[in-house]
Amino acid sequence: MSEQRKGSFLVDTLVFTKRSIITIIRNPLIFIPNLIISLFFLFVYEGGLSGISELPAFEGANYLAFILPVSIVSAAIGGAGGAGQALVKDLENGYFSRLLLTPSSRLAIVLGPIIAGMLQLLIQTVLILVVAYFLGLEVAAGFGGVIVVLLLTLGWGLAFAGYSVGVALRTKNAQSAQAGTFVFFPLIFLSTTFVPYELIEAGWLKVAATINPTTYLFEAMRSVFIDGWEAWPLVRGFLVIALLCAITISFSAISASKAVSAD
Amino acid sequence: MDGSISVHELVKTYKGDVKAVQGVSFEVGEGEFFAFLGPNGAGKSTTVQILTTLVKPTTGTIRIGGVDVGKEPERVRWNIGVALQETGIDPVLTGRELIEMQARLFGFSKKEAKTRADELLTLVDLNDAADRPCGKYSGGMRRRLDLALTLVHKPKILFLDEPTTGLDPSNRQAIWKEIKRLNREEGTTIFLTTQYLEEADQLADRISIINQGKIVASGSAEELKRTLGFDAIQLVFELDEEAERASQILTGLGENIERSKDEVTLYTENGTQLLSELVRKLDENNLSPKTLNVKPPSLDDVFINVTNEQKERA
Repeated sequence: MSEQRKGSFLVDTLVFTKRSIITIIRNPLIFIPNLIISLFFLFVYEGGLSGISELPAFEGANYLAFILPVSIVSAAIGGAGGAGQALVKDLENGYFSRLLLTPSSRLAIVLGPIIAGMLQLLIQTVLILVVAYFLGLEVAAGFGGVIVVLLLTLGWGLAFAGYSVGVALRTKNAQSAQAGTFVFFPLIFLSTTFVPYELIEAGWLKVAATINPTTYLFEAMRSVFIDGWEAWPLVRGFLVIALLCAITISFSAISASKAVSAD
Repeated sequence: MDGSISVHELVKTYKGDVKAVQGVSFEVGEGEFFAFLGPNGAGKSTTVQILTTLVKPTTGTIRIGGVDVGKEPERVRWNIGVALQETGIDPVLTGRELIEMQARLFGFSKKEAKTRADELLTLVDLNDAADRPCGKYSGGMRRRLDLALTLVHKPKILFLDEPTTGLDPSNRQAIWKEIKRLNREEGTTIFLTTQYLEEADQLADRISIINQGKIVASGSAEELKRTLGFDAIQLVFELDEEAERASQILTGLGENIERSKDEVTLYTENGTQLLSELVRKLDENNLSPKTLNVKPPSLDDVFINVTNEQKERA
């Protein structure tokens, strides 16, 4: 009887996504610390540093709007990293082999945790935006600007998920995958994290911020929060994210095809 | 697609020139109960992983149900059920969720998946624990759940890699009973690896013994015992040292000698003929065994002999 049945990529993806969502919901410790850290960033930096926005380089911008992207991006990294962690767990406890023994789509096995991670990230971002709203956030570009921020966050999350899944499938080991998420620090902090580019003191940090793709993401988000609709920061932001996605998704696809066909 | 397995000149070499499997060939007919035996590291698990599409062979042709594993792995997956040595289950999901998910991946509708989960939970006697996260299951329950997952799509061929290792006797028996039923009543082909030779002896139609990546003996349990052509003389002593001394004195008398603790087993072509000389030698050395038995070889004896012979040659 089994031979008449047909596999379906859509059903498989749905099944794997649902399973990943259940796993996330039953393990609140997967997302709560991450969310708290992001909100902590928001409160502490806003509370402690908002005075510096009086400096002329800020051009009258509200510091809350300036620091908010840091909080959103760090939450996104945590959410997206969860996809890799979930796969590592499956690899370590042997469930991954059980899934490979089903006729399900190999792509769906990897896609499920990524989609679930994206959903988690979307909810987190909305939550952070709501909190920021109550702290007095005004978005210069209006509601459309909020959508742009969500899209940028998703794109960024996807790029990071691709990276974390790639590392997970390559190392097949929780510690290494965990260690892989430490790129988080240079990505977030070697950038225009706290002050605009012009105010960065050290020459090396200026260079790092220029190379760091996160800088362009921060700038794109800040432009819609602070300045309204400006084409160049957005184009640059989306281009950088598209490029990153292309790189990390290919990396994860190659790692995945190696992991599912062990030689 | 039928229930046959055909393996031709299978070779698997890992990096660094490690030869896990060195040219293995065998056939298993539809509905047959085939046991694949061998010491740890002999290449059993590698062979199972290759046959079940998880690992690619270096060279060789494998047909499962007439389908080439290398060319159409997905078609093979629809028709085989595999219980690996290390049971992999997601500890966060409940037993019922895992079975339903497995069924969905095998093309069942939501409703069919629910029905199938009910059937299987009853079959493996997990109804009471069905809605608990299976991270909290005992080893035996986990293994039974794993068997249920293996059976979701009613596969024609079952691969069982040491399905009962580490289980208590009652769980072991429950699993054996079910495997036996699947083979005898539903005509499912069984490919089994086990360390419990007694069980292979009772259940399997045919047995192959693999050692250092090569098949060293094949046949029914009876045939294997007959081809060995040896009797086993078993001596049990009061003390371990006595057994040790006896094994030294008697070395060279038979074809092969084994000692474990207070027990010495001597393999010889004709047990009764050798007996008088054996007793005289023991007498001269003031050794008297507690018990002395001459018996036809067991599957254990066959196993020890064929795997030892290789060691000596190597």
